[in-house]
Amino acid sequence: MLVSGDGDEPCPEALGHVPLINRIIAMISLKKISNYILDDFSLDIREGELLALVGPSGSGKTTLLNVTSGLTEYTGRVLFNGKSVDCLPAYKREVGYVFQDLLLFPHLNVEQNLLLAMKRLKISRGEKTARVDQILGAFRISDLRCRYPHELSGGEQQRLALARAVVTEPKILLLDEPFASLDFRTARYLRQELRKQQRRLGLTTLFVTHNLAEARELGDRIAVLKQGRIEQTGTLEDVWFRQAAAETGFLEKPNILECSYCTCLGNGLVEVGWSGRKLLVPDDGFRISRVAILPDEIYISSERAPGPSINRFEGRIKTMVLSDGVVQVVVSVEGIDLRVEMTPEHFEALNVVEGQRVHGILKLRALKGC
Amino acid sequence: MVRMLVWLPLGLVTLFVGCVLAALFFHVSFSEITDALQCRETQFALRLSLVTSSAAVILSLVMGIPSGYVLARRLFPGRMLIDTLLDLPLVMTPLVAGVGLLFLFGQEWFGGQLAALGIRLVFTPGGAIAAQTFIAVPIVIRSSRAAFESVNRRYELAGQTLGLSGQAIFFRITLPLAWQGILTGAVLAWARALGEFGATLMIAGATRFKTATLPVSVYLNISSGELGMALACVWILLFFGFVLLLAIKLLGRKVDSRLMV
Repeated sequence: MLVSGDGDEPCPEALGHVPLINRIIAMISLKKISNYILDDFSLDIREGELLALVGPSGSGKTTLLNVTSGLTEYTGRVLFNGKSVDCLPAYKREVGYVFQDLLLFPHLNVEQNLLLAMKRLKISRGEKTARVDQILGAFRISDLRCRYPHELSGGEQQRLALARAVVTEPKILLLDEPFASLDFRTARYLRQELRKQQRRLGLTTLFVTHNLAEARELGDRIAVLKQGRIEQTGTLEDVWFRQAAAETGFLEKPNILECSYCTCLGNGLVEVGWSGRKLLVPDDGFRISRVAILPDEIYISSERAPGPSINRFEGRIKTMVLSDGVVQVVVSVEGIDLRVEMTPEHFEALNVVEGQRVHGILKLRALKGC
Repeated sequence: MVRMLVWLPLGLVTLFVGCVLAALFFHVSFSEITDALQCRETQFALRLSLVTSSAAVILSLVMGIPSGYVLARRLFPGRMLIDTLLDLPLVMTPLVAGVGLLFLFGQEWFGGQLAALGIRLVFTPGGAIAAQTFIAVPIVIRSSRAAFESVNRRYELAGQTLGLSGQAIFFRITLPLAWQGILTGAVLAWARALGEFGATLMIAGATRFKTATLPVSVYLNISSGELGMALACVWILLFFGFVLLLAIKLLGRKVDSRLMV
């Protein structure tokens, strides 16, 4: 899929990166939700993009989805394709909503859940069945069509909920922390699957989460919500590299590594130069001049850990601080400070002192180019 | 020793109930009862009971399910008062309920208006239906109200976002999810309607081959000393009662693992 570049050329649409100058599908500007007064809240969602809205618990993420879908009363404006939907009740807004608790209809099997969701569509029975087949195939739950929700695993329920929201071809897909209740591996797998489906179907999606890692993995753009205000909107790179994210407090502040050169290697990898060594970075389809990595994605150890010698570094421990249950270590690598975070347990096992030399690994998948 | 004592009350109560039933079964000879079962009067009473109780249950469902829904899902002034009022028939002496029905429908103005419409309830099988409905409808309201309240309203929200109208949400989501509880209530209401005696006696009267339902038939035959006939009706009533109670138990057991998501 990828042709290796010569370093100066930007890599082509490696991961199907969505161009960001798109038609605005939904525009939300609010003054008041129930009794809660918002201060200048506005958010645009563009055609085909996945906008990840990140905010701490209680910042009003779910409420915002309820406003968009028409389930909550509000003062303000919600526009879909430039037309106001403020007067439309929820059942006329044509949104797809995956609730945090999924709300699959327990008395209907997989197929019936999908058919009931399609009731509003003016298409023939045959077309509906065909679409059920297609969507079941796309979400890989074809062999479960006669099962009831309680007979499905957590991941399967999740897929059905997504399928049910998508099958009606909504104007906008709303996702309320859909992976919060799943174990780490299932969640990661489903995130990738969601991303694929969302791009394949070109679904305009608003995804809310408190988890920056999730937003980072999924979002074309990220919006940061804090106390009823959008603190920041932009691409992941904007939010990360502009550093303002750090001021919101709950977002982690990444390490930014300045790169000297960038060569596209193919196979979805880019080689960049940093502080006189080579780093491999996942290819996001553009020329990289800086690389970001979160402090908890850097591993350090006193001995050189076994394994391939990719993205390794050596440095000296400068400071160590325990705060909020996390040990923050600053490692100096040839004059450049890297912030590293770990649990106190891990830190004790590490058994290091200030000034000691340590070996480190920058986790490949966690590196984000810009 | 103390541990064994726990079983004593249960044993005694079971024995008590069992002995009462045995007394009903063994008081007269078996052949006397089988003869009475084939008697025209018993068969008439059985048919009348089945027809009136079924009609009463259907009426109760038609009126009771929407009432239960409104009580469960709408807030309005006087809700608690109406709720309590509708429970009153459950604790009322049926005989008194019957007197009330008789006074209401026997009253010249109201009874006359109904008669003009062709509805005669005093001393007719229609009166039996009215009496049984009066007893059965609060049971249906109560159970359907509880059933609707137990349905998570968020399913209805999910239905809204899927573009379903209020009507579609009620018939495709809320009602199916509440159905089990409503059905249990309906069966219980039917059992009560079948066994209804006091109110029926007052408004429909006790006329053989006209308004004598099974319980009324038991009363008539005991007062005229025909124990075989009376016990035949008792047997039928107990049979239906047993089957209906069993149905409730089975319904309850199946509390659909589907609803346990």
